[in-house]
Amino acid sequence: MKKANASSVISTFIVTFIFWMLITGQLSAVFRGQPSVEVLIAGVIVCLLTSLFSAKFFIHEKAFWLLNPARLGSFLLYCCVIFPIELIKANVDVAIKALSPKLNIHPGIVKVPSELKSEYGQAMLANSITLTPGTITLDLAEDLEEEAAATNTAAATTVKETAAAGSGVTPAAGTDGLSKAASGRLYYYIHWLDMKTTDHAEAGEQIKGTMEKHIRRIWE
Amino acid sequence: MRIVIDVLIIISLFFAFAGTVGLLRMPDFFCRMHSSTNIATLGILGVVIAGILYALIYLGDGSMAVKLGIIGLFNILANPIASHALANGAYKHAKKPIETVEADQYGEDLVEKNE
Repeated sequence: MKKANASSVISTFIVTFIFWMLITGQLSAVFRGQPSVEVLIAGVIVCLLTSLFSAKFFIHEKAFWLLNPARLGSFLLYCCVIFPIELIKANVDVAIKALSPKLNIHPGIVKVPSELKSEYGQAMLANSITLTPGTITLDLAEDLEEEAAATNTAAATTVKETAAAGSGVTPAAGTDGLSKAASGRLYYYIHWLDMKTTDHAEAGEQIKGTMEKHIRRIWE
Repeated sequence: MRIVIDVLIIISLFFAFAGTVGLLRMPDFFCRMHSSTNIATLGILGVVIAGILYALIYLGDGSMAVKLGIIGLFNILANPIASHALANGAYKHAKKPIETVEADQYGEDLVEKNE
């Protein structure tokens, strides 16, 4: 497991402290100029302990990557416009399928290639796919043939567990840089409620839609 | 404004109803899971957004709105992780191979890897 460095601890601390302020209602008190000092000190202690223990699970790459107006803008665009549209379309689709008199489903498990290099991007795309009804990510694997050819050992073809926002630990994770995540191509295994095609590229086109393009714009 | 809140709640009730019906009608575990995602996304988000509007406009209570927003945010963050873990575990520990799927490229690759 990778060790946590200073920037990952600091960024985790900031995020947890923001949530502490929101949940205890201190943020508005600070703006009104009458914060409760005891609550803030307790928050600092708790958040520091939490971030020291949990930073290594959350942050593997550049910690402050998002703090750039262009990236933040495309992140907000993705969260507020692109993804909700996909979500509503898929929701309506699955609801119609569930309520139609004849159950018109063709379930299947397809393999979908991905171009994403960043670990955050991979996790974000996997979570977006799982969150839209009709598709569930079962697993994330590197290309088995390419990797076997590269190392010539069958033992190297480990299937990596895909992850929530960064809880999947890459054994070969480097300390810095966003380009280290994948040596070969990455594949998602996706359970698809209404399988239209078994072709890898075409299935990816239909499942990922415009989501992958926007996620690449954020993380690469 | 009251109408907007009511419409949001009705929409989310409709999706929760559709999800429940799907949960009862779908043939196997994975397909049921697709239906339950229906409840967890729009079914909850609609109620949360309606609650935020109600708290802001009728109660004037900002902290309640913020807490509702946090509920929605953590629901969005935690739900796909749980779904993925359940689906992966169900696939790997199923007693018998899944019969309802029309193609299983994951199983093929797993067999190749083990040989």
